[in-house]
Formats: sequence, C-alpha cells, structure tokens
Amino acid sequence: MYNNFKSFFIINLIAILFFSACDEAAIPIDSSNTPLSIDTISFPVVNTISYQVPPDVGSHEFLYFGKKNEFDFLYNLIRFSSIDSTNQQTFTDYNDSLIVADSMKLIMTFVLDSIDQNTDFQLRYFPDGGDSVFNELSTNYTNFNYSNASSVISSSAMTIDSIDSITTQVRLSFLMDTTIINVFSDTSFTSFNASFLVELKNKNASEFKFFSSNNLSNPPKLRIFYRGFLSDSVVLDTSFHTYYSSQDVSIIDKPYLGSEDTYNLSVGLAKGLRSLVLVDMEGWQLPEHSIVSSADLVYNRINNDTLIGYSVSSYPINNQADFSKFNIYDTDPYNIESNYLSSAPIIDNILKIDYRKILTDYGRGSKINYGFKIQSSQNSDPFKTVQFHNLNSNVTYPVLRVIYVTK
Amino acid sequence: MLLNKFIKLYLFIFSFIFSQSIYNAYGLGLSRTSFHSSVNGAGSVGLIPSFHPGVSMDNTATWPGLNFTYISGSYTNQAHAIKSSNINNQASRFNKFQFVIPIRERYALGLTVKPLNNNNSFFTTDTIAFNFEGADILTSKEFRSGGGIMEASFGLAFPLNSRMGLGITINHLFGSSRNEQSVILNNIYYRMFNLRTYTGSTFDFDFAGLLFKDSSLSISTYARVGLTNKPVSGNLYNFNFYEDSNNSYSFDSDDYPGDLAVDTTSILNIYSPNSFSFGVNLAFKNSLNVFSEFQMLNDESTNDNYASIFNDKIGSKYHFGGGLIRFGNLNARAWQDQITFRLGAYRDNYSLINSRKSLIENGISIGFGFKFAASGNQIDISYRNGSRLITDGQKELFKEITIGVSLGDMWFLRRRAKQ
Repeated sequence: MYNNFKSFFIINLIAILFFSACDEAAIPIDSSNTPLSIDTISFPVVNTISYQVPPDVGSHEFLYFGKKNEFDFLYNLIRFSSIDSTNQQTFTDYNDSLIVADSMKLIMTFVLDSIDQNTDFQLRYFPDGGDSVFNELSTNYTNFNYSNASSVISSSAMTIDSIDSITTQVRLSFLMDTTIINVFSDTSFTSFNASFLVELKNKNASEFKFFSSNNLSNPPKLRIFYRGFLSDSVVLDTSFHTYYSSQDVSIIDKPYLGSEDTYNLSVGLAKGLRSLVLVDMEGWQLPEHSIVSSADLVYNRINNDTLIGYSVSSYPINNQADFSKFNIYDTDPYNIESNYLSSAPIIDNILKIDYRKILTDYGRGSKINYGFKIQSSQNSDPFKTVQFHNLNSNVTYPVLRVIYVTK
Repeated sequence: MLLNKFIKLYLFIFSFIFSQSIYNAYGLGLSRTSFHSSVNGAGSVGLIPSFHPGVSMDNTATWPGLNFTYISGSYTNQAHAIKSSNINNQASRFNKFQFVIPIRERYALGLTVKPLNNNNSFFTTDTIAFNFEGADILTSKEFRSGGGIMEASFGLAFPLNSRMGLGITINHLFGSSRNEQSVILNNIYYRMFNLRTYTGSTFDFDFAGLLFKDSSLSISTYARVGLTNKPVSGNLYNFNFYEDSNNSYSFDSDDYPGDLAVDTTSILNIYSPNSFSFGVNLAFKNSLNVFSEFQMLNDESTNDNYASIFNDKIGSKYHFGGGLIRFGNLNARAWQDQITFRLGAYRDNYSLINSRKSLIENGISIGFGFKFAASGNQIDISYRNGSRLITDGQKELFKEITIGVSLGDMWFLRRRAKQ
C-alpha cells in the first residue's frame, strides 16, 4: 500500500511537469519606455560625373558583325579551349603517329534559324601570338593590334545545317587545312593561343548576331577531324574532336557620344559609360550595436520609355575621383571594393540601389567614403545607354536615404 | 484508473488557470517570497510553521520538528492578466525540490533547489506608421525574456537550548537568463539577443524560539537574517542586431549581416540581497494558529548593467502579512479534522531604483494539506490571488495554484526500544 502511494505521487508529479499548460500572449506596452529605436537620415549627393572607358561587351551572350544602330563592329576575337569537350584531347596530342588530323572547322551559330541576307566572312588566326592574344574583359579597339593577325586563312558564308531530323541551324563554318593544325600542335608553346579573328569581308554590311561563349547551348566551336590508327597502316576510326570557345569578344569601334551622354549620369556597356556619385556623410557615425535596415540611393531616369530587365551595378571606389569634368579613359582608373557590390533593376524608371553594407562600414569608420561607381550590369542590354538625373535637376536629384535600428 | 482521474483533474485545473508578469522585465525580475506549497497557502514568507505544527519547510531552524525525513516537491501554475488590455498569460514550473532529514528531533539537514526569480515576459508595442522621403514605414517592437537565477541550498539546523533553535543555510546562486529585443520594420524582424549568466552565494540564519507555552496557548517567534556572501556576478553576452530575413527566429545563412558579433562583458555585483524577517505565531489548543510576519529586503548591488527590457530594477522590498492556520490531525476521526487549513493575506511593497517608483502587490491565499499514510506523506494545495500595481503603470492581476507532494520516511529518528 505504502509503495503504491509513493509510485502514485511520483507519477502524478511527473504528469504535472509534462502536461501543464503554458499560454504566452504578448502584453501591449507603451513604446516610449522601451529600448531600441528606429532612426532615419538623408545624406545629400554633392558630386556627380560620368566618364567613358572603352566598350565593355566581353561578357555578352552574342557576337556582332556589321553595324548596329550607332555601333560599328570591327571584328570578333575567339579563343578556344586547349582541351576538347571530353576533357581528354589536347592539340599536342595530334603529334602522335597513331592519330592524324586531316582538317579543322570553326563553327559559329547564328541566332536566327533562317537567312534573310547573307554575306562573306573571313577568318584569320595568330600564328605569332604565343600564349595569349586577347582578353575578352579588357581587349578593345584601343589596345588590340589588328596587324598581329595572319592573312585570311578561310572564307565562308552562312549555311543552313540540319542538326537532326527536325532541327536546323544557321551556321558559319570555316574550313582549315592541316597547316593551321600543325601550328596549333606545335609543342614550342605550352599553351598555344588557339585564337581566331573573324570579320566581314564587306565592312559596310548590316548587323549579324551569333552566339558567344556565354551562351551555353551554342558557343563557337572548333572541330578537328582525324583518323585514328591501330598500327601504321590499319585505320581504327575516323571522327572529330570538339573544342569550345573559352573567350570571345566583339571589338567595337570608338562609340559616338552625344551631349545627353556626357551631361547626365549615364551608364552603358557598349559606349563604355560609367558614372560616379559622391555622397556627403562627413562626420556621421553609426551608433554602436546598430543595424542598417536600408540605405537606398535613388536615381531617377531621364527618359520615360519602358525598360525591362535592365539592371545597374554599383561599387564603392577606393580612390579619389575627378568630378570636375567628363573624362575619357583607356582603362578605368577607379578601383572598386568588389565585396560591396550592390545591383538593382530599374523599375518604373527609378533605380534604387541599397548601399547598407558599405554604409555600415563607413558609419563605423572602417572604410573611407570616396564615392560610388555605377555601371550597367553585365546581363543588361549592352547597347542601351541609360541616363539619370544628376545634381543639376531641381527635383529628381539623387539622394541617399538611410533607415537604421539602434539600441 | 485513479491515476487517469488525477491527470485529467490536473489538466482541467491548469487549462483554466491563467505567467509572465510585466514586472519580470525590471532588472532581474520579481523574486518570489515563498516557495513551498504549504507556505504559499498561508501567504507567508516561510518563517512561521505552515507544513506541520512547529515546522515550516522554508525555515531551516524548524526542521528538527519533523517526524520523518521528507522528499518534497512543489509545482506551480501562475496566471497574469493585464486589466486594461484583456491579456491573459499562464505558465507552469517547479517551485521547489527539497530533501530534509531530521536527526534525533534536535538536528536537521536539508538540500533545496528552487528558482529565485523569474524573467519570463513577452511584450509588444503598438504599430507606428510614418513616411520617410516618400516611403511608408510601419514599425513596432517585441521583447521576450526568460530564465533567471536558481538557488541550491544546504541547510543545517541545531538547537540553542530546549526552546530555541538555529538554522544556517548556505545558498549557491547560479543560472542564466536571456532576452530577445526586436524591431519590426515593414514586417521584417531586426533581432538582438542578450544572454546573462549568474553565479554568487548567500547565507541565511534562521531562528525559531518558543516564548511562552501553557495548556491553551503557545507563543513562538521566528526570524531570519539573509546576507550576501558573494554578490551575484556573471557574463553578459550582447549579440549584435541581425535582420531575420526568413523570420526563422534564429540567425542563419539567409540573414543579414553574414556574421553575428557578440560583445562579452563581465558584470560584477548585480544582485546582493540582504534581508531581515520576523514572525510571531500564536498556537491555540485547538490547533488553530494565528500568525503575522514582516520582511524587509534590500538589494545592495551596485551594477545595473543587465540589458533588461526596462532600464530599472527592484532595489528593495517590504512584506507585511498575516493569517491563520489550523493543522489537521491524521488520527482524527472526522475527515475534515485531518485536513490542514491555511488562510493568509499580505502586502509587498517593491521600490524601483532608477525611477523611484513603487510596485505594490496585494494578495490573499488559501491552502489545504492532506496527510496520508503512517510516514506522514502530505499533499499541499494552495491558491493565491492578488494584484500588482506600479505608479503610473498597468494593473496586473495574478492567480497562482501550487501543488506540493511531500513523501516521508524514517531516517535517523529515535526509535522506541523493543519491550
């Protein structure tokens, strides 16, 4: 009996511990006597300027020939990977006596599946280019020497090729002989440039648009047709290896600039337009244990036409900027803090870029405010130039609006 | 079958009782006055006998009066209601675990674990709308806190003479509490956590003395002096704000910023209670006891860096209370005479240090004790009802039910020699 009672109460005590209720409704209290607060502050933009660098279209999805609006495409540079699509065959492997390269073909895919007008293209390469001929991110009309290219090694026009029983593609194919392959497989260079220059035979032709290496489905490709031997006289198979483009860029001639480009805050990849904005935050300190909720610099677009899918990137710069006049540079002189990238789309002709990450460091004194660079994002239409109101606007000048939460 | 009935009864009771108090957000929160369910029932501070004639489970000096060794646990369910906003809250927790061994009716020793204070609170503020440079912003705040200081004690009781006894208790204070402070900005939470750890120690000197006794009346007095040996100190872990982008209530890879810094501050002397309590009990021949108690407590701590929700803390407390207790007799023939009945009323007056405001707590309590089995097992049930009101503040109503189970056994007791 005694033990039964003992067990009974122990079990009941455990039952209370586990089964009793807990109901938590928030008690409303007056905000004024509590910690934490929200603070807002507006910082004025005190300097704005645009500047121009050479066109920046190396990351674009297409390669252009001819003329497009106000842009004149001189030629395209394409470099191929030194190893084929199976990750097994390099160019120097063709020095083996059991594999003989017979011909090589450079193939570019047109963006349309029909041909409205055709023209002749021609191909050059760089037998004396060594390891490297160009860089898609930095090569432009100011720093590329066209005369380094060979004479024309192949010419071609677009043709419609059948991919399978249903699909056709418009392609541009340049056939090359073993002379070129021998240069590619020369072991004098550890990594031969494998680069080509493709151009229109007639410079005045209109626009032609092909997929670039940034299009994963149809990048430019190089095919080497070969025979594999079992022994010196017995052919094992006849096939081809495919090498994809690793870098390519359309070289644009010096773009035309209008007064609207130089007067306003302008951005555009093909024109190489970028802008600088300096916000006066002198003396401002972010209180300890605070978090910046938003730090939006609002830019108002000048034109009212509809703009879809256009985004702008911005970085803080880490050196003094020249806000005195519109400048043209061969290379961008303003180094960026790439960790502080902020980008935003233009919506309803308003660009709102959030700088809260760098602003937090400015407020804590760990970074120095030299200003912000704005430029078109790489996925934006490179041929679209967008202008924003600058300080000369009475109403729609840019302003930085900060909201932060503090203890 | 009987067990099922009891579980259902507990669930029924607890689902209708309404524990967070608005006053838990001041400094370390409200400290409890009583812990054992028998003490709660009398509205006592634990000096005067409430468990058994001559014995209070919260007064070490009285423990030698126990007939058996006891293992005892008290569990409480508290409900708080804010009168002005129709908000009801409730929570449950254990109030005390105790193991007391009387030795030869002269000495006693015991171990006790109990929560000393309570930080549990959850507040929200009204939503405020404002426009900043054309953008509409809605904002409010939320505050949550929980945890508190635990006390583990070792008590020793011994006689001074045939009418007086003394108890010495060494208390080790430990534990942690945490609070989360949030700003909600257009439905996005910006959260900040504070974590506090505690360690310290105190002494209690309990006194029990029989002043007068005849066949119809006995008068006894009780006193306690509480001193701080080592003021409570600890660490304050103050985490930076983060934007809880996915509202997951915890910092993760989706939140801003990418890392969460924490400031660790060593905080000294945050709680240093010194107290004096005095009580008188008049025991009549019909087992009826009338008592009165007074307690004053002063927190001598010098550091109020708690990161508590309200920038204030309780600095002192005065307690006045009285009531009556009729002890049951296990051997009585009528069942109602076997039940211990307790009734009490009290008033606590707390003073806040920074604002100098006073917090008044008035309460009444009722309790019952049921003895069973030969070893003096006892169930104590108590109910307290009262209000708290701060100067210029909200009135809070509270209800509390406490259930205690004490199981007795024979250890170190004088046994009658076999004839």
